Amino acid sequence: MENNTMMIDYKHRQAGHCESGATSNLFKFYGIEMSEPMAFGIGNGLFFSYLPFLKLQYAPMMSFRNLPNTVFHRSMKYLGMDYTVIKKFKDQKESMDALDRNLEKGIPTGMQVGVFNLTFFPPEYRMHYNMHNLVAFGKEGNDYWVSDTVMEHPQKISSEDLQRVRWAKGAFAPKGKMYWINSVNPNMDVKSAIEKALKKTVYEMMKVPFPLNGVKGIHWLARDLKKWPKKHGNETASFYLGQIIRMSEDFGTGGAGFRYLYGSFLKEAAEKYSNQDLLIASDLMGKAANRWREFTYMSARNCKNRSKPEEDYGKLSEMLHEIADMEKEVYLKLDKIKDLNG
Amino acid sequence: MEDEKSTGYKNQTYGQYRELLYSEYADGKFEATVGYHGEADRTTLQQAWDLFNDRIEAARQKVKAGEASPILYYMEKTLVTPMDLSMHAGINVWRVKRHLKPKVFKKLSEKTLKKYAEAFNITLGQLQNVD
Repeated sequence: MENNTMMIDYKHRQAGHCESGATSNLFKFYGIEMSEPMAFGIGNGLFFSYLPFLKLQYAPMMSFRNLPNTVFHRSMKYLGMDYTVIKKFKDQKESMDALDRNLEKGIPTGMQVGVFNLTFFPPEYRMHYNMHNLVAFGKEGNDYWVSDTVMEHPQKISSEDLQRVRWAKGAFAPKGKMYWINSVNPNMDVKSAIEKALKKTVYEMMKVPFPLNGVKGIHWLARDLKKWPKKHGNETASFYLGQIIRMSEDFGTGGAGFRYLYGSFLKEAAEKYSNQDLLIASDLMGKAANRWREFTYMSARNCKNRSKPEEDYGKLSEMLHEIADMEKEVYLKLDKIKDLNG
Repeated sequence: MEDEKSTGYKNQTYGQYRELLYSEYADGKFEATVGYHGEADRTTLQQAWDLFNDRIEAARQKVKAGEASPILYYMEKTLVTPMDLSMHAGINVWRVKRHLKPKVFKKLSEKTLKKYAEAFNITLGQLQNVD
């Protein structure tokens, strides 16, 4: 090969959440204007789950968003697009070759990666977190140009490093997962997609018969939170509390951030179809998100002063219960909306 | 969000990346701004890294004193538990735990050492010496 350089004219836009940002940018590449909140909403990004039996960096695991690839997969499915997802490769070399073939054809390709060895990523966020997403859109010699929506600008990464992060090991190992859009559905029905997405989100947050998911999960977390100081001592309790904030704020905008994202999705949809109920729901969601943020600030004070908690854990727990109820109100409201046009 | 030179960070490399943050809801409007993380986030990040650094330092002392094998140090340095390490290196978890003893570590075959070195992304020489 003489000409080793290929670049696709792909526009990098910074976003709050890696996967919905990547999805929104991919839509843009194929000429569809779709904002990040819209992609996030249609892709069912909103979620909550609390998994106390799993530990991530020495503290219980919780997630404020859906499993990796849900946003891309669902938004494509609901909009009826022609897309491809390769869940895993057998061979590392093969996964890189497939990426090269795609780039040669001029297809920007999304990938799931682990962040621990991601060379350009902020060092303080490099933990073993395997659910990050980025889009490759060019190759220059041995280096790939990737668009990571967390960063302000497109980044360069060497072939070896990219291979390593694509084959990061551990929980939720990406195994070289790749996804891309083949072609656009000409008669795309955004309205029915939103209706389906709303229904699914309501189901996942409220109706799944499992106590650690959705609204029930937040209540469970609130109950556990109260017991932490007695059970583990103040130091550990404060560290666990810090974990809620780290999961909710740092790793890709997180809890409050996701609630804001979803709220602006509801607002956008409400304005598009002039639906009053949706507007009310978006307002409620915004208020719930503000409450999440207050919770964060209060808990952060506890984390600063580890051995002597400034805020009472019982109070924080009550606050979480209240947030769960606020969110439930939103989903109850959304549950009643059957048709967007009224 | 505006106090960029807050003293919450010991290390200047923290918090120098600007991100798009969805951070406000007021008067029916959702605001998204490009900026730095707020005080609360930085506090908890600092808290996490304090703990990690303490653990790494403790592990280093232990290795220096001959109470543990270098695997413990690198395990803490890459922020993994024996369970994770077992997945990363492809070695059974009870064997990983055994290899944390210096005596057992000395007898390890090159093949096993290579597996560890690959999992930690370092060379064999680095694995045998903790600086």
